Amino acid sequence: MMEEKKSVLEQVAESLVIYNGALSVAGGEETRAAGWLLDLLTGYFAEAGKAKAKGKPLAWINFAVPSEIFWAMDMVPIVVEVVNGLITPFGPNAMKYIDVAEKYIPSYLCSSTKVLIGAMLSGDITKPDVLAVPSHPCDSNVAMYSVASKRFDFPYFCIDMPYLRSEQGTEYMAGELKRLVKFLEEKTNRKLDLDRLRQTMEYSNLAHEYYLKISKLREAVPCPDSSLDILGEYPAVLCMSGRSELVDYLKKRYEMTKEKVDRGKSGSSSIKEKFRLVWIYGAPAFDLFTFAWLEQEYGAVSVSSMMSNFVMKPVEDISDYDKIMMGLAKKLTLMPMARECGGPWEHFIDATIDLCRRSKADAAMFGGHVACKANWAIMKLVKDRIREELGIPTLVLELDVFDPRVMSSDALRAQFDDFFATVLRK
Amino acid sequence: MSTLEELTALSRNPVNPAVNEWKAEGKKVVGFLCTQVPEEILYAADILPVRLRAPDCADTTSADVYMSHLNCTFMRSCLQYMFEGKFDFLDGFVCTNSCDHTRRLYDILREALDYPYVHLFSIPHKVGDEEVTLWHRGEITRFKESVEAAFRVEVTEARLREAIGVYNETRGLLRELYELRKRASPPISGAEALSVVLAGSSLPKDRYNQMLRKLLDELSQREGISNYRARLMIAGSGGCDNPDYLGVMEELGGLVVTDSLCFGSRYFWEPVDTAGDLMLNLARSYLNRPSCANMTDRVVERGDFVKQMVRDFGVDGVVFQSIRYCDLWGGQLLYIEKDLKESDIPLLSLEREYMMGGVGQLRTRVQAFLEKIEG
Repeated sequence: MMEEKKSVLEQVAESLVIYNGALSVAGGEETRAAGWLLDLLTGYFAEAGKAKAKGKPLAWINFAVPSEIFWAMDMVPIVVEVVNGLITPFGPNAMKYIDVAEKYIPSYLCSSTKVLIGAMLSGDITKPDVLAVPSHPCDSNVAMYSVASKRFDFPYFCIDMPYLRSEQGTEYMAGELKRLVKFLEEKTNRKLDLDRLRQTMEYSNLAHEYYLKISKLREAVPCPDSSLDILGEYPAVLCMSGRSELVDYLKKRYEMTKEKVDRGKSGSSSIKEKFRLVWIYGAPAFDLFTFAWLEQEYGAVSVSSMMSNFVMKPVEDISDYDKIMMGLAKKLTLMPMARECGGPWEHFIDATIDLCRRSKADAAMFGGHVACKANWAIMKLVKDRIREELGIPTLVLELDVFDPRVMSSDALRAQFDDFFATVLRK
Repeated sequence: MSTLEELTALSRNPVNPAVNEWKAEGKKVVGFLCTQVPEEILYAADILPVRLRAPDCADTTSADVYMSHLNCTFMRSCLQYMFEGKFDFLDGFVCTNSCDHTRRLYDILREALDYPYVHLFSIPHKVGDEEVTLWHRGEITRFKESVEAAFRVEVTEARLREAIGVYNETRGLLRELYELRKRASPPISGAEALSVVLAGSSLPKDRYNQMLRKLLDELSQREGISNYRARLMIAGSGGCDNPDYLGVMEELGGLVVTDSLCFGSRYFWEPVDTAGDLMLNLARSYLNRPSCANMTDRVVERGDFVKQMVRDFGVDGVVFQSIRYCDLWGGQLLYIEKDLKESDIPLLSLEREYMMGGVGQLRTRVQAFLEKIEG
């Protein structure tokens, strides 16, 4: 019998159902916040799924692009990496997409783009109305989206980012964002309304402020939230900045975390926090249950990650269009991963040392995504500096964030076993 | 020794007698990797720009301490040369953010090596808008100011205009050389032509121009090559600087008549206007030349350039080579394969390492490709 063909967005919805099922089995008070998060993401993807029928353009973007602009224009932004993170752990389709893509492009390109390209080649994805990405942080990003836009014929915009940070560079990028808006207006026949943009920015700023406060609370020992709570929020923050629903979630999340800190409670009552891990680069998105396993097996809590390191200020001045664009340009530069990976290595190490220090890390985890050539080229510099400045070890894992065929869950856990048995004994 | 033999000998190593003579005069030499660096700025400052290569690098043991096996062997080989002291003659280095491997060299150079001058020349990743050109003009100006401050020189407008003129002459002479390759019986093979272009990457351009003029004279007397099976074009990644690689194809009866390489045509195809705002002219010219795969809005144009070359040079098949882990060029295949197929242009896609290896496999693939072309 032929299997029913499912679109990528339908596969995402199925993954969220699986996560929800796992939560129901676990049950209890400690999974309450995860339930809120899943509800938030489910609602968002339901909206994305219905966007076309409601006449709303779909914009595919990468993790660094300010989603606020799209929400303000009544479009639905879909973050490529978030989709990949949700469809790769369950079901064979994502791996099939990677295999399909590798018939046309070399295997060493990023699996994130390979999933998208494979899905397009397989006809499992509707062409986006637009695709917008910045010129950072990697070659795969630079190479593949522009090429895909020509191969599959959809509009594409590259937000050019100077390699070195400067006030002039931020002004140039603000100009790029304005040109993006113009491009979106042309391609979608809709105008950006300044009042709506302001409203969107107000929501974005409120969410951002809550996120900063939550991050501060998570520096407490023991960490008041579980590894999955901490790592799982990244997708929602990327996709939904500018939406009131994200504010509501983060407000509830903040109140819950604060209450736990006040009472000296940890993220999970069943484990005693022994080690605090910081994921300074990628992490195995293909197996989020590994983080729970680390807690159970070793009392090792993943208290923060590069991806959750939103330390930049909210966009302070939203009084006019120019100022909003300048604020968003600054934010784009400092978005997690764009900040670390999109410039000289000082950007990476300064943010990493600061994160590890604030997180009171016992060890740094370099979840080295095999496609990120730029980060592999500074891995030695990074781990040496972490050792010199903080006196903590770095575990270097050569994995593919989305594809378990590069390093499987079993192999990953075996590496942790060795690490805890030898380097990180307490 | 003929001029061709002289140029071929000079192409074998970035350090050559001309560089030594330059240094002996007490003048400075600055290295760079990417052809998107406007060399004219250095030349106008009486500094010899030398494009870095590591043609004889056999292993990358020292470089691998810093770079990973997931980094391209071209960059690791250049880094290896640095650790071995083979670039100690350099007084400085200009890095770019052309690709992930190149840009990290900027970091490793500053942390692990000790060059007196290291500059990061930031390049945009798109070409289309005037605002990008103006921004790039600013970057070139910052580069000029950095050179002036570090080497205590002044790059005057007159010196810059003169430098651009010398470089434009190089470009014109190399275009003349390529014109000869359009003939049914070209007087120069692909491997030889690559050597000629490579020699220019570490010679003072005025001296190089003299040699090119002599070469063109000599080639006008040379008998053309007619015993080939197919006319080939080489496209794809940077780091394709080994004439022996083309030699393998030519031994089998393929004749390489043109290319779209940054060690080839893309280096010299576009002249720089010498009237008006020179910095703006440099920005325009460097952005508008046939582009590297790092320019996001030039996908179609890159394909068009290949097809134009195919028509102009009577190419029978395109060999698209990319160095393993080169995302930029590897990714282009998604478009170029379809684009050339639609134009009925045979394509051979090859993945390779910077060091020459796997010759047997290369021979087999090329042999099969030639047979396919011959029908």
